[in-house]
Amino acid sequence: MDSPDNGAYMVAAYIVTAVVVLGYAVMLYLRIRKEKRRNT
Amino acid sequence: MTRRERALTTAHRGTIITGIALLGLVGVYVRALMFTPMERSQGLAQKIFYVHAPVAWAALLAFGITGLLSLLYLMLRDRKLDLIAAASAEVGVAFAVVMLTTGPLWGKPVWGTWWTWDARLTSTLFTFLLFVGYLVLRGALTDFEVRGRFSAVLGVMALVLVPFIHVTVYWFRTLHPDPVVMKPEAPSLPSVMLVTLLTSMAVCTLLYVGFIMQRYALAVLRDVREEEAAGGLS
Amino acid sequence: MPRSTTASVAFAVAAKDLKVELRTKTAFVSSLVFAVLVLAVLYFARDKTTVGDFDLAPGALWVTFTFAGMLGLNRAFLLERENRALDGLRLTPASATGIFLGKVMGNLVFLGVVELVSLPLFILFYDVPIWSQLPILVAVIAMATVGFVAVGTLLSAMVVRTRFSEVMLPVLLLPFLVPPIVSAVQLTWRILALRPLSELTGWLSLLGSFDIIFFTLSLMLFEAILVE
Repeated sequence: MDSPDNGAYMVAAYIVTAVVVLGYAVMLYLRIRKEKRRNT
Repeated sequence: MTRRERALTTAHRGTIITGIALLGLVGVYVRALMFTPMERSQGLAQKIFYVHAPVAWAALLAFGITGLLSLLYLMLRDRKLDLIAAASAEVGVAFAVVMLTTGPLWGKPVWGTWWTWDARLTSTLFTFLLFVGYLVLRGALTDFEVRGRFSAVLGVMALVLVPFIHVTVYWFRTLHPDPVVMKPEAPSLPSVMLVTLLTSMAVCTLLYVGFIMQRYALAVLRDVREEEAAGGLS
Repeated sequence: MPRSTTASVAFAVAAKDLKVELRTKTAFVSSLVFAVLVLAVLYFARDKTTVGDFDLAPGALWVTFTFAGMLGLNRAFLLERENRALDGLRLTPASATGIFLGKVMGNLVFLGVVELVSLPLFILFYDVPIWSQLPILVAVIAMATVGFVAVGTLLSAMVVRTRFSEVMLPVLLLPFLVPPIVSAVQLTWRILALRPLSELTGWLSLLGSFDIIFFTLSLMLFEAILVE
């Protein structure tokens, strides 16, 4: 039995995950940095 | 240490933990994509499982914590509890977005459909909607004391509601069986795959911890700034 | 001045709300118009040969009641906000419980009247045995309405403080409607299809436990909304 050819879905999912996770991490980092600057 | 200094320390530690977790995530990616064998019947798409399940776990952990801390806040009225609950809700929503996008991406190739209204999927969707509502409510209230109380009320209600939604949809489902056959979770994973899954779970949990520390610290920093602007001392 | 009991507060609040509504009747009329609209649209939209009365009637009934309910819920607190009357309410020694029960009663009466007037309209549009099943049907409608109103009253009290309360209420309320409304629709179609009682008990217990748990929870949490 041949495995179905659905690698594209896997790639899409892994990319979406990376984008959202990294995006949120970067956003948090930048917001914190902005807050730090505001009050010094 | 002043409140601001404590927050900065938390932010710093949180950033480090997030950083380590992100490195761990890279490791998980490498292991899952290159060193874990493909599952024959489902094909490569099965590997989505290694990100989808841990992220779902993290999202539900986040929402559970928001619910519990909301209850504690109503009992103890400690501002810190409110800020952590809110931080957890936002982090949970971020994880939920990943969960709700990777889910259908896994479902389509493996089950043939992007979505079904079964108990688990529907519960997670509504949980997501509840916590988006929670964040919208917070955004719409300016007085911090009112905001804390109202969000906590919603948080507690949401916590009690989720099991009800699950049971409702489950009964609806069993009495109206869907023509699409639902694939159960892989019953017993070979150890190679299990290790990948567990590593991913650990990394996602660590990521949650790092994010929540950062988000909480951010909330405290904003709080301190607003209080100083208003001319008062906490 | 006599000490206000919870019951007297509740009745006073409900009476006040209903008196105001009787004078203007705006929310009541809008709810009724909406009911007729839903019925008419669904009537003209479907193909009678493929979609049976039994398939459509339960859903149509509950869509009407749910939306009419939301119109009514919002108005209850909008009134207070416009006249800053909420502050006045809070100053009285009235307990939060009394205010909550009063608001709930007022909403129940409002919604009850809308439902009472809408139900005969359904008989005109759908050939389903409403009359023969009236007692159990009314019981189900009452149970679902109580759950819906209890949670809705709590949420509308919170939401009225925000700028876009008309939009926020449905957004927050929607997930809470899943257990009661799904149960109500399931029960309604089984009742109209003349199914035996044994098929109803499961959904009835779900609806009943939802009512008990969420009425109690909303009651307990309402104090946190009012008290400063």
